[in-house]
Amino acid sequence: MFIYQPKNTLIHKVHPVTLILYIFIICLFSLTFSHPVFLLGLFIAISMVIISSEITKEWFAYLKFSIGFILIIMIVNSVLVRAGTTVLFWGPRIPGLGRIRITLEALSYGGSMGLRFLVIISAFCLYTYVLHPDKVLKLMGRWGNKSVLALTLATRLFPLMVSDFRRITEVQRCRGVVFNGKNVWAKVKKYIPILNIMLLSSLERSFQLAETMQARGYGLTNRSYYTRELWRPRDLIIIILIFVSLLMGLWLTVKGFPTYNFYPRMEPIKFEEVILAGLFSILFVFPAFLNWGWKKWPLLKSKI
Amino acid sequence: MKKYFLIIVIFVVISLLGFSIIPKNPFYNINWSIMSALIIGLAMLAFFWNFEKQGVSSKEVALIATMTTLAAVSRVPFAIIMSFQPMTFIVMITGYVFGVQTGFMVGALAALVSNFFLGQGPWTPWQMFCWGMAGVISALLGNKKKEFAFTKFIILAACWGFIHGWTMNLWHWVSFVFPLTLKTFLATYIASFPFDTLHSLGNVIFSLLFGKTFYTILQRFKNKIIVVPLDNNADIV
Repeated sequence: MFIYQPKNTLIHKVHPVTLILYIFIICLFSLTFSHPVFLLGLFIAISMVIISSEITKEWFAYLKFSIGFILIIMIVNSVLVRAGTTVLFWGPRIPGLGRIRITLEALSYGGSMGLRFLVIISAFCLYTYVLHPDKVLKLMGRWGNKSVLALTLATRLFPLMVSDFRRITEVQRCRGVVFNGKNVWAKVKKYIPILNIMLLSSLERSFQLAETMQARGYGLTNRSYYTRELWRPRDLIIIILIFVSLLMGLWLTVKGFPTYNFYPRMEPIKFEEVILAGLFSILFVFPAFLNWGWKKWPLLKSKI
Repeated sequence: MKKYFLIIVIFVVISLLGFSIIPKNPFYNINWSIMSALIIGLAMLAFFWNFEKQGVSSKEVALIATMTTLAAVSRVPFAIIMSFQPMTFIVMITGYVFGVQTGFMVGALAALVSNFFLGQGPWTPWQMFCWGMAGVISALLGNKKKEFAFTKFIILAACWGFIHGWTMNLWHWVSFVFPLTLKTFLATYIASFPFDTLHSLGNVIFSLLFGKTFYTILQRFKNKIIVVPLDNNADIV
């Protein structure tokens, strides 16, 4: 039912804390850094991790969706922003906006924003396809017992309710209700009772659920756990690297490397910055390397 | 403790906003999409924390889960038409009948659960906040009312379609638009107008179709859920 799919890669088999931390740090840096080279480095790093976790097909669907979005960002930026000195194109005069003036600076600013969006979208793609929702819920259950219980129940009830809908539609069909007519309004009218019945029966079921919970002693003691996530050396390695990257990111921010001025004229990109961005992104590519080694050498697989 | 927590949250939010204007400190000109996500997160934390601290019975937990699922299930098939969906209506009617806390929980969790199927993204916290607030606002309308104020509910639902869109625009604007000027602000809002209208229209249509029956059913279950403990009803006997 979930779009998550289990796969046999190392990325799928790390502790949820590690993966959430990794995704969080990538998102944080992609939001605080504005230098296009650093953003590109982050994007390449997360792409390699995504490719190594074998979700490339799903990721392309995400990218396809975001490209349209990025184009909109770029167009809106370049049309509305009047800053920048390198004019590429003079457009017609539009009432309210003045004469359209498209500058290289505004266009590349939009592009860099788009790159940032791509990094974040990819990070969330990784989260959606690699992390099982149940694992996250179990992790959060330590702090928010009741809200997470409600959430867990909801994810369990979801497929049940979908099958409920099918069942009730079937019953109605048996009673002679024809659902595939041409008149839209007549069709809608036939679906109204189904939704009402769904509400009624699912509320009835919620009471039964509560009674079974009560019968099993819900709320008497603290929450108990049936399964436990293992904390392995691979998590430690990745977390140490995330920590190193966090320190390096802080150092870079203090030194002012990842800030970049697009206006009034684009700054030249220094060689030093490219090297630093490369070093910084290698820290984030590491899980992909680890996955590769994990597949290639059984010894490494047994050790981590 | 509950009140202190609220005061702390408000204090933190105000000081964060304050620091972002005062030059020469690490928060000056901080990235606005991080800042806004932080503020939204703190606001939601207050609600969730309140819920955790309340003595919630198993029936209420099961009810919240059920209404969350119903709302989330109803959103998924409509995802292609973007903002035209019955989820807002279901969250609002739940809030109207069961009150602020349940309304918020159902709205926020429904946004989260439906995103398990539609895909999580940076929009998730904002959607959780918006739908949670939809539950809260209609709960405030339904507060201590014996009868179903149908017309008022429909008007609120219609307005909420726009308010929801405008709040989501704020996220879009601070995250992806530069410079943050009045002109780009207005452009963002004009661009979202058709979607907001569709959302508002959807709310009205679903309220008209299901409003009264849903209200009756939910009210009946609310009456069933209220249990008076024996030691407290001495005066009833």
